[in-house]
Amino acid sequence: MSAEAENAWPEAAVDYVKAIADTKLLLGQRYGEWMLKGPNLEDDISGASNAQDEIGQVRQLFRLLTQQGVEDDWLESSRSAEEYANASILDEEAENWPTFIVQVALADRAAWLLLDAIVHDDFTGMVQKMGEDEYFHLEHHDARLETLAEDQPEAVEAALERYFPGILAFIGPSSYGSSEDPLVSAGFTDRSVAEIRGAFHEHYEELFAGTDVSVPPLEEDVPDPEAWDETRRRSGEGHVEPSVVEQLQGISNQEYVIE
Amino acid sequence: MKYHVFTRHRAGDDMIHAGTVQADSDRLARIYAHRTYDEEDWEFMGVVREEHLLEVDEQPIVGGRAR
Repeated sequence: MSAEAENAWPEAAVDYVKAIADTKLLLGQRYGEWMLKGPNLEDDISGASNAQDEIGQVRQLFRLLTQQGVEDDWLESSRSAEEYANASILDEEAENWPTFIVQVALADRAAWLLLDAIVHDDFTGMVQKMGEDEYFHLEHHDARLETLAEDQPEAVEAALERYFPGILAFIGPSSYGSSEDPLVSAGFTDRSVAEIRGAFHEHYEELFAGTDVSVPPLEEDVPDPEAWDETRRRSGEGHVEPSVVEQLQGISNQEYVIE
Repeated sequence: MKYHVFTRHRAGDDMIHAGTVQADSDRLARIYAHRTYDEEDWEFMGVVREEHLLEVDEQPIVGGRAR
């Protein structure tokens, strides 16, 4: 067996990492938008730092994907909006600050839990370094959510209800227990989707305990495994706006690309 | 709330007052301080609520007559 074939990931793992990478790409975009409109200068600075971290992580994940045969041009600049596999909750820009914080908090934590579950050698060291960045993202979100739960519990709860189905679809179906999850069976991850869903839900139950915010229940049939798109980790056909894709791909400034 | 950010380069060094951050909680203040003042490789960074600073000033002598 050639070294290349020996190091080949299972096909489902390529899709899994692509969805994490695309979610981080969109997180970078949403954090970039945040840095221009945060309520405090300190939030703006954090938004800028988070955006930079996410884009750096995307570079690393794209590099690994190209080693697995994914076309670099396709990843970077020739995809249609329908081909991005980001968490669906990042498709649209949130309309206000509490909604925005819930949106990025759920997406960033879910992406981290999926990444942290990977045990393949190609990720050794890299995930630990990414975790150093992610600590500050997730801690910021939780600290912000704590104060928002005091000040605007209805807005936080409404955003949780709006985004929970989409983020559960991104994590994956509850039917992927430790014996059924194909990536656990392949040895690519060591934590099943079902276990990650439980940890994710428990985190927010603990965070909002003692506040007026109720966390949506962990619905076993969300996403419906029959309707779930494994490649894009969502149910349904939605996608990010084409105008955002133009920004992600640098289309309007393509003539200035340094070759 | 206003928090003061203190840092030092090496253990045993005196603290440097790096600046301030505005935050709604201690947890947020820690994150804001890190995000805003982490350009250098600090050995330590800490935050103190402004209200916890003790002013060092002249006080009337106990038992004496106030001037």
